Amino acid sequence: MAKKIGIYVCECGANIAEKVDIDQVITAVSPLKDVEVVERHKLLCSEGGKEFLKQSIEEHGLTHLVVAACSPKQHEVTFMSVCEQAGINPQLFQLANIREQCAWVTPDGEEATDKAIRQIRAAFSRVLYHKPLESKEVECNPDVLVIGGGIAGIRASQALAAPDRKVYLVEKAPSLGGKVRSFSKLFTNMESGLTLMEQELKSLQENENIEVLTESKVEQILGFLGNFEVKVRRKAEDKDLDFNVGAVVLATGFELFDPRGLPQYGYGKLDDIYTSLEFEEMNLPGGPTGGKILLKNGKPPESVAIIHCVGREEKDYCSKVCCLYSLKFDRMLKSQIPQIKVSHFYSDLCIPGKAYQKFYEETKELGIEFVRSAKTEVTSNGEGTTISYETEAGSKGKLAVDMVILIPAMESSSDARKFAEMLNLPQDEKGFFAEEHQLLSPVASAVEGIFVVGCAQGPQSISESIVQAEAATGKILSALVPGRKLELEVRTSEISESFCTGCKTCILVCPYGAITFDEAKTISVVNEVLCHGCGNCAAACPSGAVSLKHFTFGQIYQELKEVLR
Amino acid sequence: MNGESEMNNREKNDPVVVIGGGIAGIEASLLLANSGRKVYLVEKTSYIGGNVIKFEEVYPNMDCATCMIAPKQQELLANENIELLTLSQVESVSGSAGDFSVGIKKKARYVDLENCIGCGACYEPCTVEVDNEFEEGLSKRKAIYIPCAGALPNVPVIDTENCLHFKGQICQACQESCVFEAIDFSQQDEELQLKVGAIVIATGFKSFDLSETTQYGYGKLGDVYSAMEAERMCASNGPTEGQILLKNGKPPESVAIIHCVGREEKGYCSSVCCMASLKLSHFFKKKLPEVKITQFYSDLCIPGKANQKFYEEVQESGVDFIRATVTEVSSSGEKLALKYKTEDGQESTLAVDMVILNPALEPGADSSKLAEMLGIPRGKAGFFSEKEPDLTSVATAQDGIFIAGCAQGPKDIAETVAEAEATVGRILSLSK
Amino acid sequence: MEEGFTPKIVGFLCNWCSYAGADLAGATKLEVPSELSVIRVMCSGRVDPVLVATALLHGADGVLVAGCHPGDCHYREGNYYARRRFALLKKTLETLGLDSERLMLAWISASEGQRFKEVTNEFAEHIRQMGPNPMRKKISL
Repeated sequence: MAKKIGIYVCECGANIAEKVDIDQVITAVSPLKDVEVVERHKLLCSEGGKEFLKQSIEEHGLTHLVVAACSPKQHEVTFMSVCEQAGINPQLFQLANIREQCAWVTPDGEEATDKAIRQIRAAFSRVLYHKPLESKEVECNPDVLVIGGGIAGIRASQALAAPDRKVYLVEKAPSLGGKVRSFSKLFTNMESGLTLMEQELKSLQENENIEVLTESKVEQILGFLGNFEVKVRRKAEDKDLDFNVGAVVLATGFELFDPRGLPQYGYGKLDDIYTSLEFEEMNLPGGPTGGKILLKNGKPPESVAIIHCVGREEKDYCSKVCCLYSLKFDRMLKSQIPQIKVSHFYSDLCIPGKAYQKFYEETKELGIEFVRSAKTEVTSNGEGTTISYETEAGSKGKLAVDMVILIPAMESSSDARKFAEMLNLPQDEKGFFAEEHQLLSPVASAVEGIFVVGCAQGPQSISESIVQAEAATGKILSALVPGRKLELEVRTSEISESFCTGCKTCILVCPYGAITFDEAKTISVVNEVLCHGCGNCAAACPSGAVSLKHFTFGQIYQELKEVLR
Repeated sequence: MNGESEMNNREKNDPVVVIGGGIAGIEASLLLANSGRKVYLVEKTSYIGGNVIKFEEVYPNMDCATCMIAPKQQELLANENIELLTLSQVESVSGSAGDFSVGIKKKARYVDLENCIGCGACYEPCTVEVDNEFEEGLSKRKAIYIPCAGALPNVPVIDTENCLHFKGQICQACQESCVFEAIDFSQQDEELQLKVGAIVIATGFKSFDLSETTQYGYGKLGDVYSAMEAERMCASNGPTEGQILLKNGKPPESVAIIHCVGREEKGYCSSVCCMASLKLSHFFKKKLPEVKITQFYSDLCIPGKANQKFYEEVQESGVDFIRATVTEVSSSGEKLALKYKTEDGQESTLAVDMVILNPALEPGADSSKLAEMLGIPRGKAGFFSEKEPDLTSVATAQDGIFIAGCAQGPKDIAETVAEAEATVGRILSLSK
Repeated sequence: MEEGFTPKIVGFLCNWCSYAGADLAGATKLEVPSELSVIRVMCSGRVDPVLVATALLHGADGVLVAGCHPGDCHYREGNYYARRRFALLKKTLETLGLDSERLMLAWISASEGQRFKEVTNEFAEHIRQMGPNPMRKKISL
């Protein structure tokens, strides 16, 4: 079909017209081959302007459109929409920026006019090489896989589940509940974690749309957003379960840093030194001491030292919730043993947020001692242990105590590595999963469709874990609507089968893992669901096999050729 | 338990009102809109982006804040499901979850949003100059203005309190300069009644009023600044184009950054200031490698997996950290004398050119009025209260009304975005 | 420096940062050299070294590639690749006897209109001092 190009120059009121000699521009571009019409208009983006454009396009039977006006970042979408309404594929359009990057930055009128002509010619040459790309959609599965049956996983499952959206909740342990089940008390309301869990599990079990798979492990996850293929190994039945989901939520929780690696705390060598989780267990009604705080010799302690930041230096981050739960420990200790002497050894008190300073002050009033210590050591003194501490100013002191509670750093669960590999999820340097964007997308991982919530994402409180579970829910419910297809990016990369040599360079450079390798054909293939259209692959390809649609080498070359004429 | 109305809510695809056009409001609006819901985003000022767009860089990676948020802002403005109501405030609320009636007062902009192309030709002819609130008073603006270069929507607003025309004088300078006939003095304020299924409160924060303090010389001594003023000084689109300068126009040789201003009065730790101080130090050192920076703090609050490394880098760049209470800042010749007391009781003095104060974060202005209207209790600190404080922060005692971001309590951007997304999770979810 | 020499400078600007920065320079009415012709790409990582070499062989006196500051890339890491390719390209050009001084890589954010103006003006002046690209006369494509 014969090409008919229309070139429209916007005056933008006086913004362009007062600097660029539009008549001269029109004279310069009118003779170009296949140009059907060249017109000027006062304000093309206005309702009147758009209507004028539409009618003119239809009247002249145009096949391609060039508009010379403001920045494409302002109105590319506007004029693409006009194209669509006028019957031109919206990709057969190019906007020449003769305002922000011409009229507004070039004081000399002649130079501005020359530049405008150059930019328009470049747009014209380019548009001839545009392809009428069509938008695509794919079916997607609205179901979700939640890995980890702790508080975050449970809350996510409940929020996500619906008659048209099934949730598979996979937990490796024989029962759900995670760490919260082991907390006899929660801060700041000092209510029972066990009771909370019981309530959560009751409503979870009543939910018909959640399939709970305990004593199960995820063996394999293939695929991408909207189309994941999952394989779960069920230990009890000794068989695999296969199913498809549209999104995955990782809620694998945390583990404590092992203090055995730090001899100065005597953990594992001296008696009556407990980690915070061990202390929690001691307080459980169903625990080893029936819920009583007792030393190894069976007697209740008269004095306790709580040592903060165990492993903080090694891990190089602050675990955020420990100062707070250590205050909870104070209350638990004082509640059971009112005369007990409690001393904290800490560096900086971390109690951010509107409610926590009050919690600290009220706890302190129970008669708790806080010693700021830059260096703390635990040694045996025959009867119990001695805490040796050193203040920031350098003065040293000693305190004899019966029991020591160590507050170790919170690490990502040991399963993290396994999932990182299985899902191609980059881990950050701390062993947690890298977010899509640390600030703007904290619960989305670097792989589209996979979310990381709760302590798997980073050390945080129960309340924050629940917020993150709900956040992932919000993102999933927004993106994967039952019955609605996923709309794909139009300007994606594509790889020529014949030119591809199978070097996989493109796969290496893709920030989104959007390129896979077809072993049978030994070529790389772009997954349009995941492609964001950055073009890194196109630039990296040594054989010119990769093309970024709408930003192909050929199209850019046309612009280049014109501006260097 | 309102299971049935929730089910109906979801089936009817009820619209949602989001109050506040900062990052929390923007994120919630986009997620809701992309799921197919209609969103009314009600913003008090003339621009979106809230406090985040005032920062040049944000921690811990020193992202360019405006670049980071720009794609979201543009997406919001282009999204057909989102109706952005700037210069608007909630005046009344009635009804219940699934069936709220929200009354909005929309102030006139006096500039037509459709016709104005944002060329800025109207600013020059205006003869009125007043302090620019966005720039914390560090520079001036006209009576017809946008708060800063790059603000969105890129359409000015007329400040009727200072505009000569609205004060009864004869002046149409801006209107005469506009070739698009976008300026319309006859525009009227509007009252809207919106029928929505849910409400999200995302009204952000403001800073503790430093004029309530006396010991730091704020407002009296020339080079004592609030953290927000320092942020605007760092901004490449700000009053000094990113140059760190004293009032005398010269760069400072020494700077003191004081943490926890207002902490005692307010009774809580504002969570973000230690990190923000580190960020400022980092920026200052970048611009002025020789500058001597000293931070005065009580407890260093840098939780989270990414922040400690940044602290160590800042320390290594030669920034001093002194655990002390600053008792007085006074004038001493050409410099400022800063008196401080360390934890062991010792008193010392440090001479500096510039002092930056980190004020506590408070809930946004008008929070009390809004809380009353919506029937949401507020805590002692003034932030909107959540229903079950230890079990999630976004649900309130009122079904169908949610809170996100600093409206709930002081927090950083990542936590704010997570909360905004969580409100959407709650609204779109079938479960209670 | 030749008299009456008007350099031809091509700038490849990334959509999210540097192109927006260039637009901001326009919105704030700063002066940008008219010899600069801008070609928009989505990411500085799209800029194939062959494109840059082609520009020089076609007679461009200067080529500017601008992207987001490291860490700010809209596509996460595209600008890191741009940086590496650029370093390699400079070296390659030198071995081919082409003047690598005619290339510039700059990080310009969306809010740095002022910086865009400074970078482009400095670069244009630098190119003017260098004189015309000898390739202009030697090869015709």
